[in-house]
Amino acid sequence: MTQPEIRFKMPNWYYDKKALRKTPSFLDGISNSKEMRYRREGVRLIVKVGAKLGLKYETTASGTVYFHRFYMFHSFKQFPRFITSCCCLLLAGKVEETPKKCKQIIATAQEFLTDRQFQQFGDDPREEVMTLERILLKTIKFDLQVQHPYQFILKYAKGILGDRDKIGKMVQMAWTFINDSFQTTLCLQWEPEIIAIAAIYLASKLGQFEISDWQGRTPSQRRWWEAFASEVSNDLLEDICHQILDLYQTTHPEQPQDSPAEEEVSPGTPKRHRPASPPPQPKLKLEKKEEIHAIAQDKKLQAPPMPPMVSTINSVAPPLPKEPPQFFAPPPSEPPLIPSHQGFQSMPPLPPIPPQPNAIPNQPGIAAAQYPHPPPPLHPGLNTQGPPVHARPVGSNSSVSSAYPPHGYFMQVPPPQDFTASSHQFYQSGTGVHHMGTSPHQVRQMPQPAGGPIRDHYRTSSQSHHPYMRGQSAYMMPPQRR
Amino acid sequence: MNALKNYDDFNHIGTGAFGTVYKARDKKNEGRFVALKKVRVAITDDGVPLSVLREISLLKQLETFHHRNIVQLYDICHGKRGENDLVIFLVLEHVDQDLGSFLEKCPAPGLDPDLIRSIIHQMLTGIDFLHSNRIVHRDLKPQNVLITDKHVIKLADFGLARIYEYQMALTPVVVTLWYRAPEVLLQSAYASAVDLWSCGCIMAELFTRKPLFPGGSENAQLGKILEVIGAPARESWPEDVAMSWEHFSLYGKGEDLSKLIPEADAAALNLIGNLVEFDPTKRVTAEAALAHAYFENYVPDNDS
Ligand SMILES: Nc1ncnc2c1ncn2[C@@H]1O[C@H](COP(=O)(O)OP(=O)(O)O)[C@@H](O)[C@H]1O
Ligand SMILES: [Mg+2]
Repeated sequence: MTQPEIRFKMPNWYYDKKALRKTPSFLDGISNSKEMRYRREGVRLIVKVGAKLGLKYETTASGTVYFHRFYMFHSFKQFPRFITSCCCLLLAGKVEETPKKCKQIIATAQEFLTDRQFQQFGDDPREEVMTLERILLKTIKFDLQVQHPYQFILKYAKGILGDRDKIGKMVQMAWTFINDSFQTTLCLQWEPEIIAIAAIYLASKLGQFEISDWQGRTPSQRRWWEAFASEVSNDLLEDICHQILDLYQTTHPEQPQDSPAEEEVSPGTPKRHRPASPPPQPKLKLEKKEEIHAIAQDKKLQAPPMPPMVSTINSVAPPLPKEPPQFFAPPPSEPPLIPSHQGFQSMPPLPPIPPQPNAIPNQPGIAAAQYPHPPPPLHPGLNTQGPPVHARPVGSNSSVSSAYPPHGYFMQVPPPQDFTASSHQFYQSGTGVHHMGTSPHQVRQMPQPAGGPIRDHYRTSSQSHHPYMRGQSAYMMPPQRR
Repeated sequence: MNALKNYDDFNHIGTGAFGTVYKARDKKNEGRFVALKKVRVAITDDGVPLSVLREISLLKQLETFHHRNIVQLYDICHGKRGENDLVIFLVLEHVDQDLGSFLEKCPAPGLDPDLIRSIIHQMLTGIDFLHSNRIVHRDLKPQNVLITDKHVIKLADFGLARIYEYQMALTPVVVTLWYRAPEVLLQSAYASAVDLWSCGCIMAELFTRKPLFPGGSENAQLGKILEVIGAPARESWPEDVAMSWEHFSLYGKGEDLSKLIPEADAAALNLIGNLVEFDPTKRVTAEAALAHAYFENYVPDNDS
């Protein structure tokens, strides 16, 4: 009857692994491993300054997501990372309505940087950050509201039944994995829901807590996350887990984590044609690092050489003030757990998980033994049900739609329990607009609206061009420096 | 760098109190027409103000829903950057006209009652969507309600109120008060219910093609309202306002809506009455209004 509407393609912030290798920095002569290091360092600065200034973990997390997105459009040579870190934190603070003064952010950053590193900021650091703000806003297309895995961890943990103590510990551990995951490019690969599932999955394996019962479990559900997201394969989760675990392997406290001084790019005079030099790591490490974007097809979950509860934050450049042991605050409180109820006694018993010989110690210093093998799947043979993670698109033209979960991936999300009335009035608060959060409308509108974060991802994935790959895309602005 | 390079054939289509709207052609997307709304944002010591960032990111987030009754925001472009300000262009879906000009052009016997029902249903659907996402439009009026040539309603010009607070009016365009709820006029705390009030005013106007409450000033506006709906009950008078109830208690019982809006049937009159209810806590919500008897046999036409 009518012509199909022309739909505006919202920027898609998810990339396949190929796109993550061919970043602007890579094309500018920076090796992938060095870029990963730059990303880690930039993120760590955001996290440290955020923590020092008492910003909420969501704020800091948003800043890191802006940071990662920014460098999908710009090169680290063009835009020195620590200025970008400050700018991302400035922006995130405003978006979350906990603004910090630009000057304050810069002064705090300076405490964490060497004099040499701080030279990036030039004569007028504030002006550097201010100028960058507009470029940053333009680059991230005002997509400032970012969801993070934290909220989903709490939500999913609520639905998991079992020993509250153990669940609480598992949540703690998963939380730490999320903290650390911001140093990886996972937020450019997967939706926060999936990363949250992977973090719980990892924490459950390493913490030897088998998740065998959950709220609203149906006989057809074999894995707990099927209550929230169907068709997420174990392979996919393992790939995510490995990317997190790789962090603990590539980080050595004694290694310099920041660029050697001569590599610093001074503002205004980017050394554009500098050949990529190998990062100052032993060869073994290099290979390890290259694997960050490789597909963890054959790897099994290994215990990190450093216990996961140890934050890698301690391994960053001097001078180091006393650091909290974690990147972000732990969960605000133990998630309120739903009392386990008796509704599922008729369920067939699940195959027991064999006792794990090596638990991950909680204290630093105790060497973690190798976690020998991935625990067997709860139901052997079901592993292959979901799309294997290595089926992700590699070539820009490969059609991948069949490998992708269908739309409605997350349709089974139960509505929040605390929501009842949908037409209540609300008052404009003095400070402004309200979080979108899980709005009554979204609940009423289940399944997820078109173009929401989840469907957006798959829609564009099946089109198999990412904004970055779309050469003359509107949001691929030429970098601007004054 | 010119962010607007993707557009050409600029044509001025409207100047509101705060921004200028142009029609332009989108060179990329099959030459479709877009509306470009120019908004000037003041830059503070700490960069782009928090309020602006939040409003714009909210608009962007709303956009992901692709709601049929909300004007689509295709993109955000940067214009010139001055010393202390930043020009932003909101690239919007171009819609044929606004309800104001649609009504002006409407020939003698007025709108078909079925079309009125459809327009109001769509407006309420859009309002309900905004409210569910915790957005209050605050300035619903025929000029901010767009209508396509297939009679699809698109709410426009919402969410920027806070940006406007920063810059205040650029042009001496008088902001109309005719659709303002009493609690706004009284400067009391206000909430989502203000939009339902405006919707009631617009609904009446669709029948009569005349504004329901054409007040001349802020005080006169309140008087105009109370002449029609009668003096409010004492308990409905907001506590947080300077003016006392006694000033207004002399208004009588009000007028008979069926005499003011003879074109409307009983169900329509009842809904209008529920929408222009003085007490915001008693005013009908968008969701409840959509369930009103007025829409009993109404089948939303989702194809048009
Ligand atoms: N998307 C659009 N398509 C067509 N015309 C529009 C569009 N947006 C606005 N207009 C026209 O421009 C006028 C002013 O736009 P509006 O967004 O309401 O700005 P203001 O805040 O200045 O009132 C509207 O009344 C309408 O006539
Ligand atoms: Mg307007």
